Amino acid sequence: MKYLFIDTCSNSLIISTIINNKIDYFFIDKNNNDTSSKVMKVIEEAVPDIMGIDKIFVVNGPGSFTGIRVGVTIAKTIGFCLNIPIIELSELELLATTNTDTKYNVALIDARRGYVYAGIYDKDLNCYLEDQHILLNDIKYPIDYTIINSYDNIDLLKIIKKHEFDEPINPHNLNPNYLKRTEAEEKLDDKRN
Amino acid sequence: MTILAIESSCDETSMSIIKDGTTDLGTVILSQIDIHKLYGGVVPEIASRSHVESITIVLEEVLNKANMKIEDIDAIAVTYGPGLIGSLLVGLLAAKTLSYIYNKPLIPVHHIAGHIYANNLVKRLEFPLIALVVSGGHTELVYMESDYSFKKIGGTLDDAVGECYDKVARVLDIPYPGGPSIDKMAKLGKDTYKLPLPLNDSSYDFSFSGIKSAVINLNHNELQKGNTIRKEDLACSFQNKVVEILTKKTMKALKEYNVKNLIVAGGVAANSGIRSSLEQECNKNNINLTVPPILYCTDNAAMIGAAGYYAYQKGIVSDINLNAKANCELGENI
Repeated sequence: MKYLFIDTCSNSLIISTIINNKIDYFFIDKNNNDTSSKVMKVIEEAVPDIMGIDKIFVVNGPGSFTGIRVGVTIAKTIGFCLNIPIIELSELELLATTNTDTKYNVALIDARRGYVYAGIYDKDLNCYLEDQHILLNDIKYPIDYTIINSYDNIDLLKIIKKHEFDEPINPHNLNPNYLKRTEAEEKLDDKRN
Repeated sequence: MTILAIESSCDETSMSIIKDGTTDLGTVILSQIDIHKLYGGVVPEIASRSHVESITIVLEEVLNKANMKIEDIDAIAVTYGPGLIGSLLVGLLAAKTLSYIYNKPLIPVHHIAGHIYANNLVKRLEFPLIALVVSGGHTELVYMESDYSFKKIGGTLDDAVGECYDKVARVLDIPYPGGPSIDKMAKLGKDTYKLPLPLNDSSYDFSFSGIKSAVINLNHNELQKGNTIRKEDLACSFQNKVVEILTKKTMKALKEYNVKNLIVAGGVAANSGIRSSLEQECNKNNINLTVPPILYCTDNAAMIGAAGYYAYQKGIVSDINLNAKANCELGENI
């Protein structure tokens, strides 16, 4: 089985292919600020023949709104055109795959103004705190945890293995998981209340 | 040659299949206007979110409408700019992905070139021509000697004409989008309010921020005095000045460039005041005037497919690294 993995949610652009549970191709650019122009070139290099792909794993957030849309649009388009199953993954769970000595990993992504996107997972990627947009100071930490906010030691195979047989999502229904509404929507709600 | 075209530069997700730059085999336009109405204008982040939600649905619909498969398509054309960057990117990434999957040429199309070529879907363009492009985001006069050669001879220095209509509508408490309502109200009113003729000079440029401020101030002063504004009359006075300057500079361009063909394009081309004024002047001066039907006036992918065909004839294709541009000039290198 050959899988394509796409993560465009952060400054670390990650594209990978996995063949029979082994990483066949792995690209990471940790200081990427031009995902939209670069990403297709990398995918083209990773997968010269898209017809050979059995499944697409796409990270659909949280993270940069524009970044998330890049990966989701690509996955939706491929999935729809070629009828390739798509599995959506969480960026926070991906961070939480990092191998640590503690029982829990607290995955954090900066969401500005004192807020973060946070998710807490144990070693088997069972969720302890569901992914959410939360004030950094409001997080209730479990005992024995490590904070993860870098992609340096993520374990791609671990998250793929965990979700390999998840129910695929219809490409039309695959959408970003921003975890945060737009400011305009929030303001409109405030006004109504 | 059959082109699949994608347009997502603002608040319409649109795809179209166009044959030889002239025949519309199927067009789907998904407008988000009802969502943005709640906010009194287009909210860029909400627009981007809506595009990504509907992009493959629109693709499926357009293929069904034209009864075609992507394998039957010869090339993919896409609006690369100008527009809202987050919105542009969704269409652009979909186009790049399709180009990659099916190994089809990718044709980058300038949004304004699209508006101009909307006319080609009605009647083959005749050259040389002057194009007046008027929309919510653009006000430009363009001279074209032949297919896909653009020379911008003038443009707005500040607000686009459609933007000015929307802002004046807000002053008059008319819900977004204000353009069509002002047009209707203007027909019922009289030109009684004194407003300036904006940027009445010898250039081909426009400026609409002054007349916008004049309307705001006039409204404010009248309310201060305890007078009620006769909205229909103000709409009429405002529209007359806008139509007068657009007509004046367009006719001047036709005369000075010695051109007998005028095309009007963009959402504001639907405005009845602008249409009738230009029709009258063109009749008087023996100018061929073409205005696209309303469907092709506002943003749509059909016009991108039409323009894309002529861009391709000129050898304009892009590699897979194509990026979106929020701002870009017509005719510049991509």
